[in-house]
Amino acid sequence: MTSKLTYVGAIGMTAIALIAASPAYAAGTTAGTTITNNVTVDYQVGGVAQGQQTASNSFVVDRKINLLVEEVGSVTTEVVPGQSNAVTTFQLTNTSNEVLDFALTASQIAGGTAAHGGTDSFDVSNVRIYRDNISSGTVGSFDAADTLVTYIDELATDTPIRLFVVADVPAGLSTGAVAGVQLRATAREGGASGTQGAAITQTAGANTAAKDTVFADVAGVNDANRDASHSAADDYTVKTATLTVTKTSRVVDDPFNGTTNPKLIPGATVEYCILVANAAGGASATSVAINDSVPTQLTYVAGSARVNGTVTAGTCNTDGVAAGTNYAAPVVSGTVATVAAGDTRTLLFRATVN
Amino acid sequence: MRKALFLLIAALAPAQAFAANQVALDNNVFVERVTTDAAGKQRVLLEEPKVVVPGDRLVFVLNYRNAGAQPADKFVITNPMPSAVRFAGAGDTPPLVSVDGGKMWGQLADLTVPMADGTRRPAQPADVTHVRWAFQKPIPAGATGKLIFRGVVK
Repeated sequence: MTSKLTYVGAIGMTAIALIAASPAYAAGTTAGTTITNNVTVDYQVGGVAQGQQTASNSFVVDRKINLLVEEVGSVTTEVVPGQSNAVTTFQLTNTSNEVLDFALTASQIAGGTAAHGGTDSFDVSNVRIYRDNISSGTVGSFDAADTLVTYIDELATDTPIRLFVVADVPAGLSTGAVAGVQLRATAREGGASGTQGAAITQTAGANTAAKDTVFADVAGVNDANRDASHSAADDYTVKTATLTVTKTSRVVDDPFNGTTNPKLIPGATVEYCILVANAAGGASATSVAINDSVPTQLTYVAGSARVNGTVTAGTCNTDGVAAGTNYAAPVVSGTVATVAAGDTRTLLFRATVN
Repeated sequence: MRKALFLLIAALAPAQAFAANQVALDNNVFVERVTTDAAGKQRVLLEEPKVVVPGDRLVFVLNYRNAGAQPADKFVITNPMPSAVRFAGAGDTPPLVSVDGGKMWGQLADLTVPMADGTRRPAQPADVTHVRWAFQKPIPAGATGKLIFRGVVK
């Protein structure tokens, strides 16, 4: 950049006043803009107005490279084991004073604390980066209209764009497992549409006559201060259903004692209760199918099965429904639509001792 | 930047009513950098505008000198703000400012800016379009002076 003094007479003045075309101020004055300061003096000598004096000074605005990568939402992405296309959302803003390309890198952390406090314990696979399509599909959410990218081409200043890091979750994980991901963007030269520009270097040493380059970015999660890169972190947290099954039985009736202190003698009726418990803190389990084979020494009491009942203090309540149960000798079955996290549902049936 | 040159308009002067080379004017711009040393003390450095990026603070220094043999009267120095620079205060000699392109002048605190709904709000430094010093007394022959104001690169 050059700094020079220009001296012009009164006539030349009007021409110079309009030199600086209106620059874009979004992220600051556009790099390469010439800032010209003009000053004029009007005065009189002996009561007679003298010619106007002017002085002018110009310098060129240099290029400030700055960018911001931010996580959108500040909550973890809950995933289930085996899920495809699990999405974390980021935002990239070019806060430089020039249109630039940005190289993108998605990476995973190995152990350590993830973005939302959990400890990284697994890696996702097939990690990709998509750019949100702001003219079709669901704007702001990952969908088929979004574009798979490895860099951002010709990003205008101060216009945030949304990026999705999309990955597949391995099977066999338990609730609370965390995978940390990071997205880094690095400024590249703009100007050539359709190709990723060259790496940008900071102007070293003394000022040059051309437009100089200054890195002004701050450090992100995996980049340094003033390195033309910025990065942010997000994570995936597994939330799955953890089911435990318990089977209990009690004798409810015998041919001699009736329902008062019944004993397990031939002809007595036994009530079986199968409890399906879903651990607290996980996800709901749906379409839970329960099957139980009736022992050969027993005979199923037709129509006695009840499903989706509740439990009180470890004892099954008889509040289930017959709908959804089936008996195909020797198997009693029933399907519970939903077992919420922390809830327990039952399949209840009766059989008589042979 | 230390060159103090005279402005020549001699060729334009139609008659002797114009005393040529009467006033010398010099216009400098510096970038104000604040550095903090190891002891935590802040130092302000004025540098030539070599590396200038948005957000940098500029100091505009106007030097004038009455190079003529007679006092210069009705001495008015006018400096339109460059469009990419936001006004950020002046030095010890407070200037008159304009927030409407040079139509009305006054102290910044006395000026207002029209709003879209027809009301007016107090003018802010960012509204300043012109800076002007109008001297009440003649500048004696040979007298010099320095005026400064600050700006921020938009």
